[in-house]
Amino acid sequence: MAHFRLQGSKVLAVDLAGEAVKAKKGSMVAYDGEMTFKKKTGGGEGLRGLVTRRITGEHMAVMEVRGQGTCYFADRAREVNLVALDGEKLFVEASNLLCADEALRTGTTFTGLRGSAQGNGLFTTTVEGTGQAAILSEGTAVVLRVGPQTPLQVDPGAYVAHSGNLTQHFQSGVNFRSFIGEGSGEAFQIRFEGEGLVYVQPYERDTIGGEL
Amino acid sequence: MAFTVLNSRMVRAQLAPGQTLFSQRGAMLAYTGEVRFTPSITGGQGGVLGMIGRRVTGEATPLMTVEVPPGSGGTVMFGCGGHHVQVIDLWGETLHVEADRLLAFDGTLRQGTVFLGAQGGVMGVVRGQATGQGLFTTTLQGHGSAVVMAHGGVLELPITPDRPVHVDPQAYVAHRGEVRNRLSTAIGWRELVGRGSGEAFQLELSGTGTVYVQASEEKL
Repeated sequence: MAHFRLQGSKVLAVDLAGEAVKAKKGSMVAYDGEMTFKKKTGGGEGLRGLVTRRITGEHMAVMEVRGQGTCYFADRAREVNLVALDGEKLFVEASNLLCADEALRTGTTFTGLRGSAQGNGLFTTTVEGTGQAAILSEGTAVVLRVGPQTPLQVDPGAYVAHSGNLTQHFQSGVNFRSFIGEGSGEAFQIRFEGEGLVYVQPYERDTIGGEL
Repeated sequence: MAFTVLNSRMVRAQLAPGQTLFSQRGAMLAYTGEVRFTPSITGGQGGVLGMIGRRVTGEATPLMTVEVPPGSGGTVMFGCGGHHVQVIDLWGETLHVEADRLLAFDGTLRQGTVFLGAQGGVMGVVRGQATGQGLFTTTLQGHGSAVVMAHGGVLELPITPDRPVHVDPQAYVAHRGEVRNRLSTAIGWRELVGRGSGEAFQLELSGTGTVYVQASEEKL
């Protein structure tokens, strides 16, 4: 199986011995040994995947990297976080997924209203199976655990990814103050309930609710 | 060596009396002691001929001379644009770097300009164009240190004769040592029909030395 390790906080090194990994298109910065790069289609396999990708716009540009040696990946100096999956499902924006083991399946799911408030669209990418994946965050991400007794609220702009058995709702604290321009800037949150992990970055993307 | 790393984006240079440094114009952040900054009209070493060489080749970046008068000393802090900095110590080898990535360097280093076509002929020219480096690159040679800038931190990869390294041209920062470079292409029918992997061009570096790669594919 491909071995993922961090080289500093912004570069991912993957040791390959004939296996393949899926990586964000164009994210290779250097390699040694022999590597081949081939474009793949992300967001799900087969004909069904093709149709979903077309409709959802969550068509991540993926390449398959196969070879012998070490390949280094990085993307616009963003921080890399390693996630080891053991049968669970990781939900992540396509643009935040840097690299995944070939053994992991990628797909697309509907996220509802939350997605559009995050400025991400209505769909998100899922990664499922056993193996390692690397996700990108703007600044060092914190991993927050959600338990049955401890639900978690996250700013939609700071949300990066989540894994485990979580349900999410979109909650809003919009009141009359927001309408007269006196809002606190925290009008919308995503609420996670259940059991799992949420990755949060110290940076807020521009979102529809961000200004309210 | 003159430079100490203060944090990932700032370096400090300790100047002894009579010592000279070159730095990118306007990159001084703070200084102590008695230090003189003079714009280097010729843009570095080699006098007027050196200047003409750099102007013609497009490797001229505005530089300034940093020096302390005899009998005093000083320290100068450098940084530019919030870019990550990397100090490279040279012990007689040659460092190849793009002029605009060079933040500061010791006055003891010999500065030069090389034509990329000199290495690899026509392919060298193609490589310069394809990688956005232009046709010329700056070299520094001798004993001393240089500070280079990169977007998002630098990764140092060793190159040995049996282990060539391939680098994305946009992520390439600098290299040193006895290194041959060559543009390798992996253009197949997929690229021609618009189904490329985004990794069609790579810089293949072989020989003995070190290559510096940044964690980003953005130019400075």
